[in-house]
Amino acid sequence: MSFNDESLVDYARTLDCIHCGLCLRTCPTYQLTGNESSSPRGRIALMRAVAEQRLDARDPAYGEELDFCLVCRHCESVCPAGVRFGEMMEHARASRARVSPKAAPLRFVRWLAFGHALRSRLLLSAAHGALSFAQRSGILGRLAPSLGARGAGLASLPEVPRSRDRELLPPCTAAQGERRGDVALLEGCVMPELFGRVNRATASVLSKLGYDVRTTREAVCCGALHAHNGDLAGARELARTLIAAFEKQAAGSSEPLPIVVNSAGCGAHMKELGRLLEDDPSWSGRAAAFAARVVDFSEFVAARLPDAARARFADPDAPYRVAYDDPCHLCHGQQIRREPRAILDGIEGLRRVEMPNSEGCCGSAGIYSLLRPEDSLAVLAPKLAEFQATGAEILVTANPGCHLQWQAGLSRAGSRAQVLHLAEVVDRALPAP
Amino acid sequence: MALSAAARRELDRILGPRGVVDGAVASLAYESDGLALIRGTPEIVLLPRDTAQCAAALGVLAAEGVPVVGRGAGTGLSGGATPVSGGALVGMARMRDVLELNLQDRFARVQAGMVNVDLTNLCAKHGLFYAPDPSSQQACTIGGNVGENSGGPHCFKYGATTRHVLGLVIVTADGQVLDLSQPRLEPDGYDLVGLFVGSEGTFGLATEITVRLTRKPAAVETLLAVFGDLDGACDATSDLIAERLEPSAIEILDRLTIEAVEQSVFRAGYPRGAGAVLLVEVEGSETEVATTVRDVTRIARARGALEVRSARGESERKKLWAGRKGAFGAMGRIAPDLYVADVCVPRTRLKELVLAATRIAAEKRLKLSNVFHAGDGNLHPNISYDRRNPDEVERVLAAGREIMELCVAAGGSLTGEHGVGLEKREEMCLVYGDDDLAVMRRVREAWDPARRMNPGKLLPVRGCREARGASLPRRAAPDHAPQAHGGSGR
Repeated sequence: MSFNDESLVDYARTLDCIHCGLCLRTCPTYQLTGNESSSPRGRIALMRAVAEQRLDARDPAYGEELDFCLVCRHCESVCPAGVRFGEMMEHARASRARVSPKAAPLRFVRWLAFGHALRSRLLLSAAHGALSFAQRSGILGRLAPSLGARGAGLASLPEVPRSRDRELLPPCTAAQGERRGDVALLEGCVMPELFGRVNRATASVLSKLGYDVRTTREAVCCGALHAHNGDLAGARELARTLIAAFEKQAAGSSEPLPIVVNSAGCGAHMKELGRLLEDDPSWSGRAAAFAARVVDFSEFVAARLPDAARARFADPDAPYRVAYDDPCHLCHGQQIRREPRAILDGIEGLRRVEMPNSEGCCGSAGIYSLLRPEDSLAVLAPKLAEFQATGAEILVTANPGCHLQWQAGLSRAGSRAQVLHLAEVVDRALPAP
Repeated sequence: MALSAAARRELDRILGPRGVVDGAVASLAYESDGLALIRGTPEIVLLPRDTAQCAAALGVLAAEGVPVVGRGAGTGLSGGATPVSGGALVGMARMRDVLELNLQDRFARVQAGMVNVDLTNLCAKHGLFYAPDPSSQQACTIGGNVGENSGGPHCFKYGATTRHVLGLVIVTADGQVLDLSQPRLEPDGYDLVGLFVGSEGTFGLATEITVRLTRKPAAVETLLAVFGDLDGACDATSDLIAERLEPSAIEILDRLTIEAVEQSVFRAGYPRGAGAVLLVEVEGSETEVATTVRDVTRIARARGALEVRSARGESERKKLWAGRKGAFGAMGRIAPDLYVADVCVPRTRLKELVLAATRIAAEKRLKLSNVFHAGDGNLHPNISYDRRNPDEVERVLAAGREIMELCVAAGGSLTGEHGVGLEKREEMCLVYGDDDLAVMRRVREAWDPARRMNPGKLLPVRGCREARGASLPRRAAPDHAPQAHGGSGR
């Protein structure tokens, strides 16, 4: 049975699970509650029960377990049977939204965000403008308490950067020094609005390594957030736009242009577009070819950094202590763990320390931190304590959601530690050629 | 046996937020443990945070006369944690704290829900570890290990759980707390702790456990011997035992298991296409290890090993073991369900009995694989099946029973490390007579006169004479019957 949302759950996939339970310890919601229905194995048992008509897919408790999951995919990294849990969750959420449309929490917010804002640069900008106004005018601070837990989530959002920080990259950032080739860069939807500086750092690193960095304005959102939240139709539509835009941009290149992605969640999703569109004959081949071009920033840079000039972040005699926190969709979604560490270890003036549970979820999980702020913070809490115990001054991540989550968590905890994207660290360390 | 509204409110009060779970969703997620063949529907699931909460909750359940099943991570393979329909399931997953770590006297006192591997990780930096290492150690709990007297590869050298439990805090059926947590090498009077370990939740619930911590050996070598067939690996094991070599673990994986593991995230580098591999770990002083490694290599080669190699460093050693321990789950690639038989046989007769199990499976048109603790003579003939096929389920159960009968007749035992649970309770009659079982029932009733703790497990429901006369229909209890469902094929 192929990936489709005609049935309520992907029944054949549920049969891959042999019920061994090795996933339990990795699951953040099981860790939080000790409840097996909030574990990967338990959720698969529920999906199977839906398919076997022993459980009604409209049961609110079933919906709650689907919503509670962060889709961090940690379970996939330890599953001996190779269960593709993330994909199963997307499928189950999609069909759940169909049979029980009223069940979606904050339905209006999802409709606005997934149906409109994330697809349009203009609306994204407007949304951020409104948030920015609310923050700077103090309205949000006064309004937040009346919104309960979600208000607290909103109030803890970091300040939206000023408009000049939100400018898009130019269509091409020219290579510095000896030119080695071209790369495409995904700017993304949320990234330019909240982390324009990360995009600029990414382009700067790539250009210092000798690459012309090309962007496209014909695609905005990759659709990862849609897919994770069960809007598979929306995700497919965005995928087609994205593929077409990057195909058009690469027209004329003799070789397939690598598409560098600096957001782990987007990268993991984009690498799997072949599967998302596998039932669409006119797109499946194009999607697979596109997916093969996608490369995470750390993969691309780790292979090239040793050839570049010596990277130096600070005086090696007074190094900064840094901890790298694996974004779930990088380590579990893309199985990338070594490269970011190798990059950091190759930079002078950094002393890297390991956090015991760096592969555990930080609780950000896309829009999860906004939809379920209390659970999100509870998932972060033990990680925050572990980070503080390392005594690190900088937390390095590679995903915008995790970046926000750590910033919010550290500022709440009164910590002065900085959060930086890996690209920002490399950019600061790497001299121009 | 519905719970009264007042009792339900009282349980909510005792256990706090997210401490009481019920409804269709909870009961489906908890309907079986690692033995998915047999299922039950709990009335309610309770998740205490400490001994006091557990005791208070059991007090309420006692007053209501509700049966109680304890559960760690639900990874057991004999149905020990299968819920009793209409009963309460008490999960230990929120009781994960270390209560005391005593490095001088080398013991730890932990809550029952602590995950096995977390205990070893906790004391690793002090040069210590917790020796029993079930294959499910990444998930299973110390409390569950106590209930089942669990083993694991390294128990060949170190012994099963009972050798490592120094003390317990037990909540009894009526909600009393029995504190036997003071670590003692020699108890004053009856060894109640020893009696409790392996009682499969039929005496009470262990909530806190004092365990022995073992010093890490000075040197370790992990050997992988590759064989063309299973016979050579079995013969080599029998020779290792006969020559009185003392590795810490001797494991065998057969061809089908190797294939499944090598396709999984736990890919270990076992050579694909090999008929079997023998995984041997040797620990001790540098000289001891060197001598034993030489002897093991010689014996393996004499029995036809195509290759004998040593793990290069810690990371390869870990991979070799992770592959072995992920083997059960990896069989999910073969079929939706796996029946893991767990029998012990004399180690001189390994080859013969592995062969017999293979024959039984073949006769019944079943797919059999083997991955087992060869050093302990603890066989795990694994049968892949699909629980939606009732005819196949019947054949699996019949094969399981035949394998048990054969091993017991050969001087072996019903269970190596997984316990009796629901799976083998009727087969207890292969080993014991009605008189023996009557004594066991009296011991059990001394702890739990009303027989409310994990009822229907461990001890046969009917008398042996009666059971021997009948054909042992295992579906006697409707709740425990495997259910077949329609739906699309796999």
